[in-house]
Amino acid sequence: MQGASVGNSLPPAPELAVSSIDPEPVTLARLTGGGPALLLFVSEECPTSAMALRKLGPLCPALETRGLSCTAIFEDPLEIALRVARNCGWGGSVVSQAPPYQSSRQYGLISVPTAVLVGKDRSIVASLAGWDQPALAELIRTVGADLPVPAATEPLRKPGCSSKAAIDPELAAAMTSASADDELEEMFERGWTDGLPVIPPTAERVDRMLGRFDAEESLGDVPPAMGTATLRRLAACAVLAGCRPEYFPVVVAAARAVLDPRFNLHGQAVTTQPAGQLVVVNGPVRHALQMNSGMGALGPGNRANLTIGRAIRLLVCLTGGGMPGTLDRSTLGQMGKVGFCIAEDEEVSPWEPLHAERGFEPGQSVVTVIGCDAPLSISDHRSRTPEDLAYVLGWAAASTWSTNWWPLAEPSVFVICPEHAAMFRAAGWTKRQLREFMFETVRKPASELRRGETTPFVHAADPAAQVPKWESPDGIVLLVAGGEAGRYSAVLGPCTGMGYQIVSAEVQSP
Amino acid sequence: MTADYVSPFDERVRQPEPLAPRPASIAGLRVTLLDIRKNRGAEFLDRVETLLQEAGAVTSRTTKEIFSKPAALDLIERMTSISDAVVEALAD
Repeated sequence: MQGASVGNSLPPAPELAVSSIDPEPVTLARLTGGGPALLLFVSEECPTSAMALRKLGPLCPALETRGLSCTAIFEDPLEIALRVARNCGWGGSVVSQAPPYQSSRQYGLISVPTAVLVGKDRSIVASLAGWDQPALAELIRTVGADLPVPAATEPLRKPGCSSKAAIDPELAAAMTSASADDELEEMFERGWTDGLPVIPPTAERVDRMLGRFDAEESLGDVPPAMGTATLRRLAACAVLAGCRPEYFPVVVAAARAVLDPRFNLHGQAVTTQPAGQLVVVNGPVRHALQMNSGMGALGPGNRANLTIGRAIRLLVCLTGGGMPGTLDRSTLGQMGKVGFCIAEDEEVSPWEPLHAERGFEPGQSVVTVIGCDAPLSISDHRSRTPEDLAYVLGWAAASTWSTNWWPLAEPSVFVICPEHAAMFRAAGWTKRQLREFMFETVRKPASELRRGETTPFVHAADPAAQVPKWESPDGIVLLVAGGEAGRYSAVLGPCTGMGYQIVSAEVQSP
Repeated sequence: MTADYVSPFDERVRQPEPLAPRPASIAGLRVTLLDIRKNRGAEFLDRVETLLQEAGAVTSRTTKEIFSKPAALDLIERMTSISDAVVEALAD
C-alpha cells in the first residue's frame, strides 16, 4: 500500500475548499450525507491520476448507489477538470481547487492521485497515495464486502506525481507563470484547439460574435459525442477559429446544414476515411464578406474562407468530440479536415450557381455542405474542344475513392477553373451536357475492374458490360472558382458508405 | 481568467451506461447476431453463429439499415425483446 496510513485515532477530515458546476457548495456534510465518501485527489498533468480516473471512474455510479460517494478533486481549473474527467470516463462528482490548493494542503498531500476514505462521521478512515489496486480494493471493501472494486489488471501499482500543493509556492509560480501569462498556450492546455493556435473565446468576444442571435438557442446535438450545439458554444468555436462577427450567420447556416440528419455527420465524423465537410458559399454574402472565389480559391490567404470552414470543424472536434485520434478514427485524415470552405465564382461561371440548381433564388445567400476527400488538381492546357477537356476532367476522377470502385454512389465535386469554364461557355455547353458527357465517357468493362477493392455491382455485371464511374450524372457536382490564368481544375473525391445527402441552408440574420 | 472564457465543450458529466449482467452460460441462450452491413461482416457472423450454436445457443440474425448510422430505436427494442444477448459484428 503505497504511502498508506490507516488511522487508528481517525482524525477529522478538513472541510473542502473547492468549486464545481453545482450551484450548491460542495461540503463534506453533503458528500457523506448518505454514507462514507471517497475523495480522489488528481491533477491533469499526472498520468497516474488519469489511470486512477479511468480504472475507478466507471465504478462510481454503482458505488454511489451503494452509499459510497465518489468525488474527483482536481488541482486544475474547473473546465479542465470536467474535460479530463469526461475523457477518462469518471462517473462520480468533479470539483476543482484553485491555487494555493488549500484542500490538498489540509489533507497533507504529497502526491496525486491520493485516495482518501472519509467516514460518515467525517473522519479520515484511510488514505492511499499513488495507484495501488489491491490496497484500493481493500479500502473499498471496508465500506462493504460486496462493493465493486477496480479490476486487478496491470499495472497493479504505479507511483503518482507531485501534488501542486507540495511544491514550494515560488517554484510552482516559476513553473506555471509562462503558461498562466500566455492565454494562447492556455488554450492548448484546455484542449480548445485543432492543433493550431486559436483566438481565446472570452465572454466579450463570444458576445460580439453572437450579436443579436439567441445564445441559448440549440441547433441540436453534434455527433459523435452528442454535445449540444447552443449558439453560444458555436460562437465560441467561431471565435476560436478566428471568425469576424459578420461571418457568424454563415457559420450558423453551415452548422444547421451539417447537423441536418440527412447529412449523417455521425458517420462522417468517425469514419476511417479522410473525408471532411466541404462548405460551399453562394449568393451575395460572398461579396459582403469579401470571400475569395478567385486566385487560390482552395488554398490559404482569405480569412473568411479559412475561418468559416475551421469553425465548423471545431464544432465537430470540440463540441461534438470528433477529435482525430479519439472518436474521429480517420486513418490518414487530410488538411481539408482543418476546415474547407469554397465561395463559388458565380460571376465567371457560365452556368447557374450551385444554390440556384438546388432550388434557391440566385439572390439568396446559401451554404451547401458536402462530404469530400482532398482536392486532386487536374492540369489541362492542351484541350481545344469541350469534348477533350471534359474527357480529361472526367477521367481524372476515375481513381478517386479507389481505382476499381465503380460506380460511385456518392457525389464527386469538380471545381472548374475560369479558363476551363470559358471553353465550355464558348461551346455553349450546359452543366447537364458536361455531366452527361462525363457520365457516358468515363466507363470501363467490368472485367477490367475485378481486381482488389471493387463493388458488388462489378462482380455481378457481365464481364463485357461497360461500368460508369458514377451511378448517375447527378453524382457530378460542378462549381466554378479559381484564378483567371492557368488551366487547373480540381476534383474532390467522395465520402462513401454514409447514405448521406448534400444539404443546403439559407444564411439568415437573427 | 477561467470565468471569462466560454467553453466550446458540452461540459455535462455523463454517467457511463452500466454493463448488463454477464450470462453464466451460453446453453439455451437466445442470441441475436446483428449484421451492421459492413464489408464481410456477415462472414464473421457466420463463424460466430456456428460456434454459438455448438455451445447450445438459439440464434437469430438481423441487419442494420447502414453501418454508418446508429441503429434505429425500434431495431434495438426488437432485439432486446427477443434476445438474452446480442452480438454485433464490426468488420472490414
